[in-house]
Amino acid sequence: MMLTLLVLPALVMFVASLIKHPKIKLLLPVSSFAILLPIVKLFMLPKPYAIWGDYLVADRLDTYVLLVSSLVGIGVTLALLTLDKHVKVTAKAYRRFYRFFAIFWVGLIFSILANHMGIYWIGLELATLSTVYMIKTNHTPAAHKEAWNYMIVGAIAISLVLFGIILMYASAKPILGEEAMQFNLLLAHAKEIPSPFLFEMGFAIATVGMFVKMGFFPMNLWLANIERASFYPVAALFSGILESAVIIGFFRFSKIAMEVNYAHLFGFVFVYTLLTIFIVAFLIFRAKDFMRLFSLSGVEHMALIALFWVSGGTFAALLHFGAHAFLKPALFLSTGVLESRGKYRIAGALRGYSGKKGELFWVVVSLFLLAIISLPPSPMFFSELYGFGAMIEMAKQSDHMLAMIAAILLLLILLSIIFYRFVAVYQSMKYEGEEVEKKVYASELFALVLFALCLLVLLLPVSFSYLRSIV
Amino acid sequence: MGVDFFIGLFLATLIVSLFTTRLYRLILWYSMNSLVLGILALMVGKALDDKAMLITGVATLVIKAVGIPYMLKHFSEKFHFVRQIPPQIKTHYAIILIPAILVFTFYLSEPITHMIEGNANYVAISISSLFLSLLLMMEHRHVAPKIIGFLSMENALFLLGITATGGMPMLVELGIFFDLLMAIVVMNLLFHKEEVQS
Amino acid sequence: MTAYLLTIFLLLLIAPLLLSFIKALKMQLLYKKPVSLFQGYRNFSKLMQKETIVSEEASVMTRVAPFLVLSPLLVTLFFLPPVVQGAFYVSFVDAFTITGLIALSTFFLMLLGLDSASAFGGMGSSREAFIAALVEPAMVLTVFSVSMMAGDLGVGQAGVNLAAHFPQEHTASFLFAAISFFILLIAENGRIPVDNPETHLELTMVHEAMILDITGVYLAIIETAASVKFVIFASLFASLFLPFGLQYDVPIAVALFLAKLFLIAAAVALIEVNTAKLRLFKVPNLLGIAIVFAFLSLITFYVLGA
Repeated sequence: MMLTLLVLPALVMFVASLIKHPKIKLLLPVSSFAILLPIVKLFMLPKPYAIWGDYLVADRLDTYVLLVSSLVGIGVTLALLTLDKHVKVTAKAYRRFYRFFAIFWVGLIFSILANHMGIYWIGLELATLSTVYMIKTNHTPAAHKEAWNYMIVGAIAISLVLFGIILMYASAKPILGEEAMQFNLLLAHAKEIPSPFLFEMGFAIATVGMFVKMGFFPMNLWLANIERASFYPVAALFSGILESAVIIGFFRFSKIAMEVNYAHLFGFVFVYTLLTIFIVAFLIFRAKDFMRLFSLSGVEHMALIALFWVSGGTFAALLHFGAHAFLKPALFLSTGVLESRGKYRIAGALRGYSGKKGELFWVVVSLFLLAIISLPPSPMFFSELYGFGAMIEMAKQSDHMLAMIAAILLLLILLSIIFYRFVAVYQSMKYEGEEVEKKVYASELFALVLFALCLLVLLLPVSFSYLRSIV
Repeated sequence: MGVDFFIGLFLATLIVSLFTTRLYRLILWYSMNSLVLGILALMVGKALDDKAMLITGVATLVIKAVGIPYMLKHFSEKFHFVRQIPPQIKTHYAIILIPAILVFTFYLSEPITHMIEGNANYVAISISSLFLSLLLMMEHRHVAPKIIGFLSMENALFLLGITATGGMPMLVELGIFFDLLMAIVVMNLLFHKEEVQS
Repeated sequence: MTAYLLTIFLLLLIAPLLLSFIKALKMQLLYKKPVSLFQGYRNFSKLMQKETIVSEEASVMTRVAPFLVLSPLLVTLFFLPPVVQGAFYVSFVDAFTITGLIALSTFFLMLLGLDSASAFGGMGSSREAFIAALVEPAMVLTVFSVSMMAGDLGVGQAGVNLAAHFPQEHTASFLFAAISFFILLIAENGRIPVDNPETHLELTMVHEAMILDITGVYLAIIETAASVKFVIFASLFASLFLPFGLQYDVPIAVALFLAKLFLIAAAVALIEVNTAKLRLFKVPNLLGIAIVFAFLSLITFYVLGA
């Protein structure tokens, strides 16, 4: 029952995409809002609540991530109403886009709620394959090439994740039998795994696969180029929903790996994420258009989330994750309007809006831009405070205090490079360039306002206490 | 010992496909690879008396050894693939690189030797098959060999599933097959160069 | 002792027959009237009676080299794994020695090709060096790997061990070594797809190019050397990779061994008929496969014990 309610909006979207009526897409935002009903119900039920036997189980982490991704999904559906006003897309391609979006959403719901590693992987693979076509909706040669690029590298990354899953399953099979695929059982019996090296190797390979999918080293520019070549809703879907599914997998796997061997896990993830942030900081400094700027910034935030999580700052990681999942898709959706006069025109992008809708738009977008670089009172600011605090806490218990302080200083320097660049971009958007008339539409404005509201809700004490209670 | 022989054939077909320069020959080696894999699944399934593995073995034989190569050939005729695919890595470097990869992966799997029930060598061979399929993907410029490299990677993963764990749960195997089929559908869509409507 | 010497004599005798058999089988498969099986012997006696002319630019090397090409191969004949029970020489001859002896023979053949100062000879020698450089490491690795699996470094003793007890647990490495050795058999003996033994076109000559300028007795000796080389390789393949039948009585064992040799010859003939000769710069692809398989066989044996 719960499962059907959850996938119902996606099914409605799939069916609607097969009907050739031009106004049918107005139905979709309404139906997408319907997904909030089962989620609110899930929040109220006692956790862990089994949605489909042992395969899909909703615990506190699940429901939070599901809520966040669904809100992003609703926002994107709203913004999709005016896609053809900003870019060139045929009606047939538009309908195909909706079809694959529906499949994507279903796959991700399965992935996020999964307790069974196999179901998690199948959902992720389904999502990866459906995004390939969404990239290609944009009929340019660059999109065609990038779609292939995405398919190949995405397929490699997903296969690495499957490989890691098989090895982890193999390591736990002697004690758990066929149920070694389930996250909750693995977590409970983590210390009893007979061959920790096998588990760690599986975890390392799966993590490399997941990190490559999120755009970490060495695939930093891959994601940026893909998002450049596709439409802006696709980029929003990537950074909002797909990365949520990947990061929840990382959360679960790393929780188990923390039980097995914390030191190895920490060292591996620490070095990897620091290296990524180092490279990405300089790439952001040189980014010259919105899509690349935002997607590289997305990579940097994901790296921070991973870093905070393995340092024990689970609250910080979850807060950062939530804030990022609202801010980044909002920024991507706004690029539809910001780039309406040309792709590489950063200067003057925030000028030339008239009327109430235009005013609201540029205020909201400036606030988002400033929020994403962790200016208070953005949730990002708090999450970074708590995150660094957790890292120092962890270093106090080991002998590497000095190394940790050096690492945090390095991180702060890199974050300040990003900060500088974003502020420079904002200045250029607001104060330079010519005033060229740009039009904002109600539906996308509504989506942006929705995201802003969600961000404010995230700042409430009740949400803070909920996040603290997860894990 | 039959399993030994067939795993040797599996690796042999994969290594030969790394040196070949013709697309149809590459498809043939992939088909042989899947055939050997299906036979392996049937042998291990019979030894362990595992019905799920027998079913997946038959499915591998039908889908991967016959169906997918046929479809790839059909695609290559429909979309006029380039059939001459020289590897980007020169042969004299490949002769050094491939043994280096083999040594590296065998060394990686050394500590697992005491940890797996059954034969740990098979895990090492599947890991090296994974890396060799990655090499196959990387050494060609055109798209069709890259697809075959991806399919060989799925084969290596399946081999790992059979030998390391004594069979993955049925659900997962079915899911993997389903995803593979969907990948073919997506590829068909991708190859269609639709006319740009302006 | 007598059995030993008799088997060696038998191998020597069989050598031209094997090569004529390959040629006859090829012609039969191509719907031509096959050449007689004894053509090899007829060629030998015909060449022995012909006048031996030596080019003016040739040095003493042309007069000496043919013998030096044949002798290492004759020496190797003495150290092969046995044909019948107990008829072998316990020795130190292992992978390195056998490869070295065969390489010595090839070396003098290359010098012979260079000696007549013709363009064909130089070209043949350089191509032969190109192929030999790839073949030798593979051969060392393959024979070494098989002797490790058989438990004894001496090739003769290894053959005996394999016939007595075939190591079932090493089937995978054995398979790899067999594939590698078969490719080497084709490459070292100058069969298609590496070299065409029936051509005199410049584009496709390797072995023929080196011996283009010699006649009479010397040519007879070189052709004998080529057939002895084939017998050595076929005999090694039969003893090491098809190691059964050593325990029977003498006549049956000999018949079985001859059957194996003819089977290998028939396989070579079938491959020759069905394959096109590879372009020279594509030959490293094929030999690369041989090297990788040889290496794989050794490493699978050592690291995995498979």
